[in-house]
Amino acid sequence: MRRRGAFTPYLFLAPGLVLFALFRVYPLLEGLWLSFTNARLGRAERVFVGTANYARLFDDTRFQLSLVNTAYYTIASTVPILAVPLLLAVALNRGVALRTFLRGAFFFPFTLSVVTVGLTWLWLLDPVIGPSTYYLRAAGVPVRSWLADPATAMWAIILTTVWWVTGYYLVIYLAGLQDIPRELYEAAAIDGAGGWRSFWSITMPLLRPVFLFVLVTHVIGSFQIFGQVFVLTNGGPGDATRTVVQHLYETAFQNFFHFGSASAMAWVLFVIILAFSLLQFRLLRGHTQY
Amino acid sequence: MDRSARVWRLLITAIMVVLAIAWLLPAVWVLVTSLKLTENIVRVPPEWIPWPATLAHYGEVLFSSSRTARIGRAFLNSTVVSLGSVAVVVLTSAMAAYPLARMRFRGRDAIFALLVGSLMIPNAVVLVPQYVLVQRLGWLSTYQGLIVPEAAMTFAFGVFLLRQFFLTIPSELEDAARIDGADPWQIFTRIVLPLSQPVLGALAIFAFRSAWNDFLWPLIAVNKPDMFPLPVALALLRGAYAAESYGPIMAGAVLSALPLLIVFLVANRRIVEGVRVSALKG
Amino acid sequence: MRDATPRLTRRRFLEGAALGATTVTLGARRASAQAKPTITYWNGLTGADGKIMDELIDQFTRETGIRMEQQRIVWADLYAKLQVAVPADEGPDLALIHTVEVPHFASDGILEPMADATTSAKGFKAEDYLPSTWQGGMYQGKRYSIALDVPQHLLYISTKVLKEAGLAGADGKPKIPGTRDELLAMAKQITKGDTYGFSIGTTNPGRYTWGFHNLLWQNGANVYAADLKKSGLGEPSALEVAEFWSAIQNQHKVAPPANANCRDAFIAGKLGFWIAGSWNFTGLREAKVEFVAAPVPKIFKQATVWTMPHQFTFPKKKAVDAAKRDAAWAHIRWMSDHVAEWTLKAGQVSALRKPHSDPRITGDPVFRVLLGQAAQWQSGQPTPKWVAAENLTRPVIENVYIGQKPAAAAMGDLARQINALPD
Repeated sequence: MRRRGAFTPYLFLAPGLVLFALFRVYPLLEGLWLSFTNARLGRAERVFVGTANYARLFDDTRFQLSLVNTAYYTIASTVPILAVPLLLAVALNRGVALRTFLRGAFFFPFTLSVVTVGLTWLWLLDPVIGPSTYYLRAAGVPVRSWLADPATAMWAIILTTVWWVTGYYLVIYLAGLQDIPRELYEAAAIDGAGGWRSFWSITMPLLRPVFLFVLVTHVIGSFQIFGQVFVLTNGGPGDATRTVVQHLYETAFQNFFHFGSASAMAWVLFVIILAFSLLQFRLLRGHTQY
Repeated sequence: MDRSARVWRLLITAIMVVLAIAWLLPAVWVLVTSLKLTENIVRVPPEWIPWPATLAHYGEVLFSSSRTARIGRAFLNSTVVSLGSVAVVVLTSAMAAYPLARMRFRGRDAIFALLVGSLMIPNAVVLVPQYVLVQRLGWLSTYQGLIVPEAAMTFAFGVFLLRQFFLTIPSELEDAARIDGADPWQIFTRIVLPLSQPVLGALAIFAFRSAWNDFLWPLIAVNKPDMFPLPVALALLRGAYAAESYGPIMAGAVLSALPLLIVFLVANRRIVEGVRVSALKG
Repeated sequence: MRDATPRLTRRRFLEGAALGATTVTLGARRASAQAKPTITYWNGLTGADGKIMDELIDQFTRETGIRMEQQRIVWADLYAKLQVAVPADEGPDLALIHTVEVPHFASDGILEPMADATTSAKGFKAEDYLPSTWQGGMYQGKRYSIALDVPQHLLYISTKVLKEAGLAGADGKPKIPGTRDELLAMAKQITKGDTYGFSIGTTNPGRYTWGFHNLLWQNGANVYAADLKKSGLGEPSALEVAEFWSAIQNQHKVAPPANANCRDAFIAGKLGFWIAGSWNFTGLREAKVEFVAAPVPKIFKQATVWTMPHQFTFPKKKAVDAAKRDAAWAHIRWMSDHVAEWTLKAGQVSALRKPHSDPRITGDPVFRVLLGQAAQWQSGQPTPKWVAAENLTRPVIENVYIGQKPAAAAMGDLARQINALPD
């Protein structure tokens, strides 16, 4: 009985771990190994070059710039992407009518592919023929091209992303909110607490685990942002919105197909995200069961 | 008290409806464009009503005289791959998450850490070694060559999500079953899984979407045009050198979004319940 | 059957031999009919061009019996896929790529050289082609590709916009600018409100390297110096071009913002003069836009016209299947013989000379303009670093365009970056 018990966990894990080991761990380790070589897509010979790829990253100003841009995006997008769905969820949770329609409306963008989202917003924001430009001009607002201005390009991308993913986080928040017992709010109302007060003292604390789940998912995702930036600005104007994964992708699959270099970049990114995540976990120790 | 609450509720509803309509405008733009005649598509001032309306772009995308422009087969491929990937992910993730949540054994924490860590690596860098592996297995341009790697991509996230939920199930139920003589597999299949339907549904939906929209992997792993899934097929609607034909592109986008939307509407309740329980107790 | 031992008489022998011979012949014919291979073919002709290519391929199959399994992939992704697939021996039998991609693919061993003997045996001769297109397939003395057609730049003029700006003649035809000053003056007259006078590029005029290269060549400058080793972008001639690039946005203010969709702007009647690729005009006609085609104006010293021919090429295979290779050659031969059809339907001028005198082609005003530019055609330099250099150029010229960086500093910086590219 005990011997059988000893193997049981591994039997359960086996199918998944085989899948994971073969199709994730092995390619990842191969990537790690390649980061220490001068591997190029299309070339069979590989020469071990030690940490040369990593060392070159210190000189690669575009890589460093892309790291900065990615960090900027992650930090700048956190508040809008976390707050907007939350506010919508709170409003929806107060018992408005037409809940299903509203939930569906906000969720719909999430069903579209990144290319559709990008093309549509490129058109909407086009500085010459875009509808948003047209209406703003008609309203007398001075027209500018958000995506062509280094100061505003990232924010235009964040706006597009908020539009795209809000529905997903909205659904998550709603679920969390629905689990907070109504009695708590009623009790607080009897004690004279207003809407805002009960939000901060009841809703937020009880929503913390959901909030953190959303935060961690968002941060990991933001560090790997690629799709919508690529379509909306291709990293421009100049290199103002160039992200790490775009730099990595171009290094591996365009230019000189420097796969070894790209792998090195990926592992640097991994270390950075890991550091961030550990920081988050440490800050939340005691509050959540991760 | 009642009246002000009702007024308040009406006000918020009104604001939300306006917001929702504004939110839908870009999507409406996609739909409207797909119904316009080509010469009416790029117009200033922007026209929101497609008149005269046409289904020609949908016809083009579904029944084009050019075999390679039709997306019907791609739809089928995407459906098979996405459903297959969901099946593999849900099965393997559930089986892996259970011992990580409920059992004690050597290497448990290391394995979990490895899984969570793997979430942080961008896919682009795994692509080429994965390609070589899949080629050696003879799986290029096959369904399994798409399903298995797609499932592998979502596996770690699935374990993460499911482990959260399993941790919240009261252990009394399982203890009681154990006392009654049930073995771990029976406990897993007869108690844990049925209780987990909501979160399994949630995982299924996210895995479906992830497999449905993936472009990069199918691009290099498929060499037979009639095995391409939807994102790759839709990319062909885009003109070379940015000379876009918006009509067919938008028609393709609408058609492509429909299955996901249907899945969402059908499973709406399930997601809400599922995510609520796991994220909350985490 | 009844005889246990068949008696072999001479007659029977002859009958048997005749029967045998017939069987063998019939069998051989069936075998050779069965021996028509299916070849795989990758190209980037997405969108409307793809449909036309499909029709032509179907016709090819009907006439020759050779089936083609076509894979169309957006150009940028096509090249990434070739680089992954060919070394793994999963590449296609035939591929259509851009001229500028030939050097780096050839030097990476992705493409197979075409022996001169074979090329001429299949009927491909230098005198049938325009020199720039024939030369485009060569790299380091070896031939790697045969040109199909010549996508190039031309000047599109919006009839509606020029009429509204009072720049059309009494006959309603817009005036065509001859010099840079004329162009700028007319563009300034047009630019007001949401309408712009002049732009180069399909979308994102700020980082349209093809247009930038066109202007460089007009001024006698180039990305690399003649020795193809050091960058030529630090030269004064290149700097002049960069300054113009900045001026149209920041000084003359006739050009739209850096990420504008110029094609859509032209279609919507918000852009007057538009230098862009010839691949746009069939779409313009489909969108029923009124426009006049003119040659690319001489903005600098020469009226050079940028081109980027499509080239047929054979990706390397570990073992070459002779039948498939012959079939691939057959396709190139057939397409070259029928290239007039391709030109008429897809709007791409052929690399071969012969169709240029086809009356159906010379009868079309746009084709007349395109053919008239043939003497001015130029293409990218045959160095494997061309594409990488181009990728580096994009963000730099975009910064110049939006006025974020002064032209001199930007060009100096870009030249340094290009010189630092590894071999």
